[in-house]
Amino acid sequence: MIKRYFLFSALFLILFSPFCLAEEEYKFDISEIEKKPYHIGGYLEFRPILFGLDKDASLYKLKFFKRNEGKTVEEYNGKLQLEGSLEKGIARLFVRTNFDLKYSYLGWEHNETKRMIYEGYLSLKPSPSLTFKFGKQTLLWGKGYAFNPVAFAGRPKDADDPELALEGFIAASADYIKSFGGPLKTLAVTPVIFPIYKHINDDFGKINRLNFAAKLYFLLYDTDIDLIGLTGGSKTNRFGIDFSRNITSNFEVHGEFAFFNNQIKKVIDSQGKISESKFDAKSYLLGLRYLTPWDTTFIFEYYRNGTGFTYLEMKDYFTFIDKGYDLFLSKNNESLLKKASSVTQGNYGRPNPMRDYLYLRMTQKEPFNILYFTPALTTVMNLNDKSFSLSPEFFYTGFTNWEFRLKGTALIGQRKTEFGEKQNDYRIEFRVRYYF
Amino acid sequence: MKKILICLFTLLIAIPVYAIDGAQLLKQIDRNLNPESYEMYRKLINVEPDGRKKEYTLYSVKKGVDKVVALFLAPASEKGRSTLRLGDNMWLYIPNVGKPVRITSLQSVVGGVFNNSDILQLDYAAEYDVEKIEEAGNEYLLLLKAKTKTVAYDRIKLWADKNRKLPTKIECLTEASMLIKTLYFKEIKDFGGGIVRPSVLETDSPLYKGYKSIFIFANIKQRDFKDEVFTLTFMPNIESLRK
Repeated sequence: MIKRYFLFSALFLILFSPFCLAEEEYKFDISEIEKKPYHIGGYLEFRPILFGLDKDASLYKLKFFKRNEGKTVEEYNGKLQLEGSLEKGIARLFVRTNFDLKYSYLGWEHNETKRMIYEGYLSLKPSPSLTFKFGKQTLLWGKGYAFNPVAFAGRPKDADDPELALEGFIAASADYIKSFGGPLKTLAVTPVIFPIYKHINDDFGKINRLNFAAKLYFLLYDTDIDLIGLTGGSKTNRFGIDFSRNITSNFEVHGEFAFFNNQIKKVIDSQGKISESKFDAKSYLLGLRYLTPWDTTFIFEYYRNGTGFTYLEMKDYFTFIDKGYDLFLSKNNESLLKKASSVTQGNYGRPNPMRDYLYLRMTQKEPFNILYFTPALTTVMNLNDKSFSLSPEFFYTGFTNWEFRLKGTALIGQRKTEFGEKQNDYRIEFRVRYYF
Repeated sequence: MKKILICLFTLLIAIPVYAIDGAQLLKQIDRNLNPESYEMYRKLINVEPDGRKKEYTLYSVKKGVDKVVALFLAPASEKGRSTLRLGDNMWLYIPNVGKPVRITSLQSVVGGVFNNSDILQLDYAAEYDVEKIEEAGNEYLLLLKAKTKTVAYDRIKLWADKNRKLPTKIECLTEASMLIKTLYFKEIKDFGGGIVRPSVLETDSPLYKGYKSIFIFANIKQRDFKDEVFTLTFMPNIESLRK
C-alpha cells in the first residue's frame, strides 16, 4: 500500500511538474514594484588596459621624454559610480558620484575630490509641465552620437566611448513643456543660468561672469528640432540648431549646426612661435542610424569642426615637438618640450582637434543567436590627414547586472598625422561592470 | 416565389457574417485588451534554449491611440532607462548618457524576441487596417495590413475569441508574408475596474529557434495623464508618475 502510494506520488510529480514549473515561471510578485521614496544604486567597474607604445610618435616624445617604459605599459582602472535619490512630494534630491582609481607606471592616482560629484541637485516639479533644478547637473545637448558641436552647456564627449556619464556644472535650470495637437506636437523651453566664479565652474571659462544658456525644443512634423544658445562672457557667444527624424522604421537621420562668435585659436609654428587669431567659426554634423534586416546597426556621422586645426597647423605642432625632443636628447634642454606642453592642454590635446572627421560604428545584435552578445566595429577617421582609429569590441550582458566588454583599438596613420602621432600604436582593454 | 424566399433567407443568414465591421471589431479588441489611457506593470522574461532566464520589470503608461512610455525598474543595470513612443517616433533615454536618442521600432532595447514596438505597443487599430475577416470556429481571424511604412510589421494575422473579443494568437509577418514572430495570449485574469484580459503574453520566433520571451502583466489600471508626460523633456521624470 505504502509502495503504491509512493508510486502514485512519483507519477503525479512527473506528470504535473512541468505545469508547476510553468506556474512558477509566470509569477510576478507585487512587492517587486512597490515604490520607495529613496533609491541607492550604481556600479563597480574594473578595467585593465594594455597600451602598445609608439616610441617614434610626437606625443610619446612629449610625454615620455624622461622615461623608458619599454614597448608596452599596463594600466589598471577601478571605478565606483554611486547614485542616490530621495523623493518627497514635488521635491527630489539626486546625487551621482564617481570615484576613479588608477594604477599605472606613475603609481596610484585617483580623480580630484571636487570632481567626484558628477551631479547633485534638487529638483522641484509642481506639474508635469514644469520642472526646476538647482545644483550640479549635466546638460547634454545635441543629437549626434559621437560628436555634439551644439553641446554648449556640457563637457566634451569622448568619441571613443560616447555613452560614458559626464560631470556636470553647477547651474539653475527649468523645463517648461507644452503639448499640442497638429503638426507641432511639443514645445519645450529650457533656460539655464551658470555662475562662473572662483571654485564654482571655474573650468568652464573666464571667471566672475554669470552665463545664460537656453534650449528651445520643438517636435514639428515628427522631427525633433532644438534651437540652442549660450552667452555671458565666460565663453564667446554661440548659437546652434539640431534636428533628428525617423525616415522609416529602421532609418534615422540627425544633424547639428553651431556658430561660434569671435573664436580664438592659439597656434604654434614649427619654430615655436605662438600666435592667436580671432574668427567666427561654424561647426556642423550630419548623421544617420540604419538598421538592416539582419540586425546590423550602422551609426554614421560626418563632423566638421570649424574651430579645429588645419593639416599644416597640426603638422607644425608635431614638427616643433620633434625639434624639442631632439634638443632634449642633444643638450638635455627641456624648454621647447615645455613650451609644446603649454599649448597642448585644452588646445592641440583636446578631443578631435582637427577639422573633418568621419565616424562609423557597426553593431551586430546577437549573432549566431547568442543572446545579449553584441560585437561592434568602430572607426574614427580624420579626413584631413587620412589617419584613423579602428576598434573592434565584444560586449556581453547575459548575466543579470553584469556587463563584459573586450575592446581593442589600433591607431593608424603616417607621421605628422593625428592618429599616427598618438603615444600608442594600439590599446587592448577589458571592462567588467557590476550594477547594484 | 419559392426561389425568392430561399434567396431572401440566404441573404438574411449571410448578413451577420458580412456585417462585421472589421475596424470596429479591431477597436473593440484594443479596448478589451487595455483602457485607452492606463498604467501597468510588466515583467519581461527572456528564456534561452537551455532554460536560462533574464528578467526585466517595466512600468508603462499610455494615453490615447499614439502615446506610450515605458520605464525599466529592474534589473539594476537597466533601472531608470525609459522608452517613449509618440506615433511613429521612438526615443530611448539612458540615465548615464543623459539625453534621449531616437531609436527605430525594429531595434530591441532588451535583446531577445521582443522589439521596441512590442514593448511600446499602441492600439492595433491605430497602426493597422483590417483587410479581411474570416471565421474559424470560436474565433475570428483578422488579416491586418500596416497603415504606413513606419510600422514594425507589414502584416498581422490576429486570432480573436468570438465571445470575449480578445486576441488569442497573433502572427507578425513581413510584406512577403514571412513569419517574424508569433504572440500567444494566455491566462485570462480579472485586473479589477472591468479589465478582464490575458495576463501572460508569450512569443517565439523562427528567427530565434528555441528562444522565447514572456510578458506577465500586473496592476493594469485606467489612469489619465497630461499630454506633457509623453515628451522627450519629461523622459527623465517618468518615475515620478508611480504612486
